[in-house]
Amino acid sequence: MVDQPQPPPASAAAVGRGPWRVALRRLRRNRGTLVFIVVFVLIVLFVLAAPLWADHLADTGPNATHTLEKVEVDGEIREVVDPAGRPIGPLWFGAGGKFFLGADGRLGRDEMVRLMYGGRTSLFIALTSALITTLLAVVLGLLAGYYRGWTDTLISRALDVIWAFPVLLLAIALGIALAVGGLQIGPLTISSGSIWIPILIIGGVLIPYTARPVRGQVLSLREKDFVEAAVAQGAGPLRVMFGELLPNLASTIIVFFTINVANNMLLESALSFLGVGVQPPNASWGAMIATGNDLITSAPLLTILPGTMILLTVLSLNVIGDGLRDALDPKAKIRLEAHAGLAEPEGTPV
Amino acid sequence: MKKFGAVLAVACLAVVALSLSSCSSSGGKEGGTLNGTYASFPDSLDPALARTVEAWTAMYATYVPLLTYAHESGQTGSKVVPGLAESLPKISSGGKTYTLTLRKGLKYSDGTPVKASDFAASVERMFKLNSGGSTFYTGIVGAEKFAETKSGGIPGIKTDDKTGKIVIELTQPRGTFTSELALLYVTVLPADTPVKNMTADPPPGTGPYEIVKTEPGRSWSYDRNPQWEKNNAALMPDVPSGHVDKIDIKVVGNPSTQVNEVERGSSDWMQTTIPSDLYNKVKEKYEGSQFRVEPTISNYFFWMNTTKPPFDDVKVRQAVNYALNGAAMERIYAGSLKPIQQILPPGIPGYEKYELYPYDMGKAKQLIAEANPSDRDITVWTDDESPNNEATAYYQDVLNKLGFNAKLKEVAAEDYFTLTGNLSTPDLDTGWLDWYQDYPHPNDFFQPLLAGESILPQENSNYAQIDDPKLNAKIARLSKETLGATQEAEYAALDREYMEQAPWAPYGTRTVSTFVSSDVNLDDVVFNPTFGQDLASFQFK
Repeated sequence: MVDQPQPPPASAAAVGRGPWRVALRRLRRNRGTLVFIVVFVLIVLFVLAAPLWADHLADTGPNATHTLEKVEVDGEIREVVDPAGRPIGPLWFGAGGKFFLGADGRLGRDEMVRLMYGGRTSLFIALTSALITTLLAVVLGLLAGYYRGWTDTLISRALDVIWAFPVLLLAIALGIALAVGGLQIGPLTISSGSIWIPILIIGGVLIPYTARPVRGQVLSLREKDFVEAAVAQGAGPLRVMFGELLPNLASTIIVFFTINVANNMLLESALSFLGVGVQPPNASWGAMIATGNDLITSAPLLTILPGTMILLTVLSLNVIGDGLRDALDPKAKIRLEAHAGLAEPEGTPV
Repeated sequence: MKKFGAVLAVACLAVVALSLSSCSSSGGKEGGTLNGTYASFPDSLDPALARTVEAWTAMYATYVPLLTYAHESGQTGSKVVPGLAESLPKISSGGKTYTLTLRKGLKYSDGTPVKASDFAASVERMFKLNSGGSTFYTGIVGAEKFAETKSGGIPGIKTDDKTGKIVIELTQPRGTFTSELALLYVTVLPADTPVKNMTADPPPGTGPYEIVKTEPGRSWSYDRNPQWEKNNAALMPDVPSGHVDKIDIKVVGNPSTQVNEVERGSSDWMQTTIPSDLYNKVKEKYEGSQFRVEPTISNYFFWMNTTKPPFDDVKVRQAVNYALNGAAMERIYAGSLKPIQQILPPGIPGYEKYELYPYDMGKAKQLIAEANPSDRDITVWTDDESPNNEATAYYQDVLNKLGFNAKLKEVAAEDYFTLTGNLSTPDLDTGWLDWYQDYPHPNDFFQPLLAGESILPQENSNYAQIDDPKLNAKIARLSKETLGATQEAEYAALDREYMEQAPWAPYGTRTVSTFVSSDVNLDDVVFNPTFGQDLASFQFK
C-alpha cells in the first residue's frame, strides 16, 4: 500500500459549517456589535412595555391631558402644570411612577408614557417602511438586473426621477400634499391622520437607494455559472430570479434592511418634527422633539429625552448593520482590512 | 457786528432746524432698518383677501382705504378717520346713500394716479375673489347679483374720475357701513390689479410704505413709498409718515427663538405673543422698557358644524360647552387668556357677562347620553401655532372623554383659514378659531360669524354654518340701526339666544404683547385695537 500524501487537516470550523453558521460565529466575535444588539433589544423591550407602564404605574394614556390636576409627591401636593404654564419636572417614583419623567408641557401629559408610546410609533414606522422599501427595491432591482434592456431602462429611469429629488424635500412635499385629503388609490383609502401616510412616504422615497445596488449585484450574478446551469436545466425567469438570484442577495438585503430601518427612523423624526409625519396628539420621538422645542429653555429634558432615544436607536442599528455586513460578507471585510494593512492571509480558517 | 450777529443768528437757526429734522418729537432718530419676526407667514398679503390680524398688521401702513382707523392705541384707535377720501361720508336717503370724494393728487406707489373708479374696480375684484370680507358689502345695490355672476358691474357704486366723487347706494340702511368702509377688504387698488391672490407680488398701495419683495412662507420687505412724501403725505394728515426707511420681516417658527433674537438685538420686534413658558420671565425683566401687555377685543372658541352629525344636535353642542373647562384654557395660555362663554367679548358695546354653561362634566355626559349620537367620529381642526394647537389638543381630549372618537387635524397657520373656510374640504366637523374685532361694533361678532348669509362655499366665515332665520333677521335689523343703549341691550340678548343654541364653545379673550429690542422706543409703538402694531410708529432711539 502506497502511503499517499494527505491533505492538510481542515479546521473544524471550515468543514461542515453552513455560511449562516459561519456568519453567526463571526458576529458573536464582534463585541461592539453584540453590545449594540443588547442596546437595541432593550429599546424594543422598553417600548413594548408601554401599556404595562401606562396602566399599572402611570395610570394614564399617552394623549390624556392633566392640565389642572395635582399629584401627591412624598406627601406634598403639587400641580402638574403651574399657573405660568410650566410643566412639572421628573418625579421618578415620588408619585408611584406617575410623571416619572415629568409632564410634557401645558397639557400635562405624562412624558414617560409618551416616550414609550412614541418609541413604538417611531419603531413601527421605521420597521414597516423599511420592509416596504426593501421588498419593492429587491423586486425592482431583480427585474431590472435580470431582464436588462427596456425593462431596466424603464425601472432605472423611474428610480432616477425619485433619486433626483432630495429625500427630505420630496417626503415633506408628499407629506403636505397628503396632509388634508389623505391618500386614495382605487378602493384603498388612507385617512390623512393615519400612521400609514408617513410609512408609505418614507417607504417610497427611499426605494432607489436600495434598488440600484441590488440591480448592480443582479447584473453581476446573472453572468455566473450557476445561473447558466439553472437556465440550461430549463428554469424560467421567475425561478432564476427568486430561486437562484434572491438567495445570493440575502446578505445584501439583510444589511440594507437594518440600515434602512435606521435611516427611516431619522426621516420619520425629521418629518414629524416638521409637522408632516406623525400627526398630533399622537406621539413619536420626532414629534416629541417638536413639542419640547417650544419649552427648550424652561424644560430642556423634553427635547433631550426623545433625541437621546433616536440617537441610541439609530446608532445601534447602524452598528448592527455594519456588524452584519462584516459577518455576512467577509470578502468586503478582508478588502477593507487589507486596505488598512490588517488582512490575514486568504484562506485562513475563521 | 450787526452783520456778524445776523450770520450767527442764521447759523444758530440752521443748527436748530437740522437738529429738529433729524429728531422726532419723542427724541428718536429717523431712518434705519426695522427687522421683525412673525411665527408664520400671514394668510395673505393681498388686502382684499387678508383675514387675520397678522396680515392686517403687515398692511396697515401700506394700504389706505377711503376711510381708515386712527393710527392710535386704545379706544382712540377705534375711531374712523378719512383716508383716501376727503372727509367722512355724507349719509343721505335715510341711511342708504353714502357719498365720498377722493382727495385730489393721490398716487399709488408705482406713480399711477388714484382714480375714483378704482374703488368700484377694487370692490368688484374683492367679490370676484370670493373674499371672506365680501359679506360686509353685499348690502350695496347689485352686489349680491355681482357676487353670483361676477359680471356686469355693481350698479350701487357710481364714480366720477373727474370730480373724484364716489356714491354708494345700499339696498337698506346699514349702521356699520362707515366702519366697514375702513377695512382693508375695500382698500383702493389700481383698476388693472389682476384678479388673483397677489401675495407673491402685492399690488401698489397709497400708504407710507410699499411692500417691495415677498417670499411667501418666509419673508417680506418694505421700502418707503416713493410717492408718499411727494404727493400723499400732505393730503392724508391722519396717516403717519413712519420713521424707519426699510422694514424686513422674516418668519421664525419658534417663538422662543423670536424672543432670543429680540433680546440679543438681532431682531427689533416680534409680532408673535411671547410664548407661555417665557411670558413671566420676559414680563418681569422688560415690562415698561421693552415689553408691554396689549388688551384685545377678541374671542377664542371652537366652532361646531351645526349641519352635520353629531353637532347637528343642540344637546351635543351644549354638552361640549359644559365639558370645556375655562380654567384649563387659562393655564394653557399661561395667563394671557381670560375665560368667557359668550359671543361678545369684554370691550365691545353690548357685552354683558354671563355664564350659561359652567363647567360640569357630569351634566355634559348626561346630555350626550340623552342625545346618543350615532356618529361619534369627529375631526378636530387647528392651526399649528402654540398655544392654540395645545388648546385644541385639550379640546380633543375633552371630546374623547365625552365618548367621541376625535381625531386632531393640525394645519399650517398660513393655510388654516383657506382650508377650513372652504366648504368642500372634507370632515369639517369642529375646530379652533379666534376672532378679533374688525371694527368696534357688536355686529362684527354676529354678521360675519353667525349670519346665514355669511355661509360661503369658499372663504366662509360662518364656520358653525348656523342658519337660523329668526336670528338672521335680528342681525339684519340691528345692523341697519345706529348703535345706542337699546341696540346694545338687544345685542346682549342676541348673544344669549345664540349661546342657547351653542354653535360655538367659546373659551376666552386674550391679551397679546409688544416686545421690542432695546434699540426701539417702546413708548412710540402704537397698538391699534383692530390692526395691531402700526409699523409706521416704530422708531429707533
